[in-house]
Amino acid sequence: MIEVQELTKRYGDTLAVDALSFTVRPGQVTGFLGPNGAGKSTTMRMVVGLDRPTAGAVTVNGRPYRDHPDPLRQVGALLEAGSAHRGRRARTHLLALAQTHGIPRSRVDDVLAAVGLAAAARRRAGGYSLGMRQRLGIAAALLGDPDVVVLDEPVNGLDPDGVLWIRELLKGLAAEGRTVLVSSHLMSEMALTAEHLVVIGRGRLLADTTVDELIARAGVGGVLVRTPDATALRAALLATGAAVTSEERGTLLVTGAGAERIGDLARDNGLALHELTPRRASLEEAYMDLTREAVEYR
Amino acid sequence: MSERVTFPRVLRSELTKLVSLRSTWFSLGGVVLLTVSLAGVVGYGIDHDGEPPADTTHAVAASFLPLDFLVLVVAVLGVLQMTGEYNGGAARATFAAVPRRWPVVLAKAGAFVAVTAPVMAVTAVASFLVCQAFLGDDGVSLGDPGVPGQVAGAAASTVLLGLLGLAVGTSLRHSAAAISTLVAVLFIVPVLLGPVLPGDREDDVLKFLPTVAGQAMYGSLGGADSPFPTLSAGASALVLVAWVAAALAAGTAVLVRRDV
Repeated sequence: MIEVQELTKRYGDTLAVDALSFTVRPGQVTGFLGPNGAGKSTTMRMVVGLDRPTAGAVTVNGRPYRDHPDPLRQVGALLEAGSAHRGRRARTHLLALAQTHGIPRSRVDDVLAAVGLAAAARRRAGGYSLGMRQRLGIAAALLGDPDVVVLDEPVNGLDPDGVLWIRELLKGLAAEGRTVLVSSHLMSEMALTAEHLVVIGRGRLLADTTVDELIARAGVGGVLVRTPDATALRAALLATGAAVTSEERGTLLVTGAGAERIGDLARDNGLALHELTPRRASLEEAYMDLTREAVEYR
Repeated sequence: MSERVTFPRVLRSELTKLVSLRSTWFSLGGVVLLTVSLAGVVGYGIDHDGEPPADTTHAVAASFLPLDFLVLVVAVLGVLQMTGEYNGGAARATFAAVPRRWPVVLAKAGAFVAVTAPVMAVTAVASFLVCQAFLGDDGVSLGDPGVPGQVAGAAASTVLLGLLGLAVGTSLRHSAAAISTLVAVLFIVPVLLGPVLPGDREDDVLKFLPTVAGQAMYGSLGGADSPFPTLSAGASALVLVAWVAAALAAGTAVLVRRDV
């Protein structure tokens, strides 16, 4: 559990995080979304005590991160790819981190194997590709078998296999009852991974909601139907309680009934369908809508 | 014992980090090789066309002439032990693991002493033996009165100035800035301060500088022919320890407040 309360961070004249409050709960993947410069990384750095809040507070499992006697067992964080000395072997980097907590050496080899770096464990971090550095950072995050996992843009630099792997990893961690907070500026990635979303822009909270709610809020969606029997199908659909609008002759936009139901209904009534396209509510559009005001380069 | 942060564990971690970098062994190896071989060159030079050392102290100090300058390599190693954390962003991982941060500074200091003290002890003894061997009849032996203290002083002074480097690196965190500052503090300030200070104040101030105190620990400065008075070896050691403690405390104070 991560509780962010009225969290504020000011760098000179810039307000990077502005009285932000939200809670990240265990057992699900929470996506942390916002345009570049929205304050996602700054917030995450404050979660693990690397940056000091100007005002407000953030607690992890009920306490400020610094006050935990075993921080790596509480929170595993990937903040930027690698975060290792370029001249040190990957395994030694993890071993040194493990030693601060008395975590056994065998755990180092376990996490290296888990992220697919077992064969490259003795190479120096400076020779790693971006994708390998991401994996090393994730290995470090998993080292303490933490209750809370915080990952900043983990799919950056990963190939499609790696992206798929991260997705499964995050879902697996959440299924084990852990708290998972993962940031991205890509809605499409979050739509596939997260159940809950915290959206921020210019350091302020824009939405704290589920993926389904955000789709509903988007107001688009429904199923596009093209049929020569528009009038009859419309009547049949209205009878089932669905809502139907029509933008041009021979096409219907149906909400309140899924594609399967519409298809079945047409067959039962002997009506022909020429097209049946679920307009998968564009989460991307909902997100763009939400953050349009908040896009700012600074 | 449960898996949580304790100081001995952080110390162990810092030892792992220090000994796992090739640069540690390259720089220490270079210091040993150069210091000892140059000590031989100094001894050879004095024996062939120099004046024989005036007394035991001078004879021993001749062995450590190269160390006056090579101490910089050890001090830079101290700087890099901390500024290296910011190379590749290791600092994020380090300070997320030990969020209170001050144990990291203390553990780095402990690890630095654990690694450099034995190396510098060997270097000091070897430099002494090689230089005295070249001095022949003018040389002194390790058993002569005061000699072991002077040799120990050479090793200890180098380690302490290395810790001063660690402290400067902790405050400044950028390698280039920290190394420049260190060179200024160790080698430029002592030279400039003499002419800047009024004649009578010079003698009261210079002996408290880290470089002067460090060299006085092994008799490289001091004695009747010294350009300015120095403190005794023991008092100089205390002065240098005080510098190191103050600089480490200041660096730690900055580190725990700053964003990583």
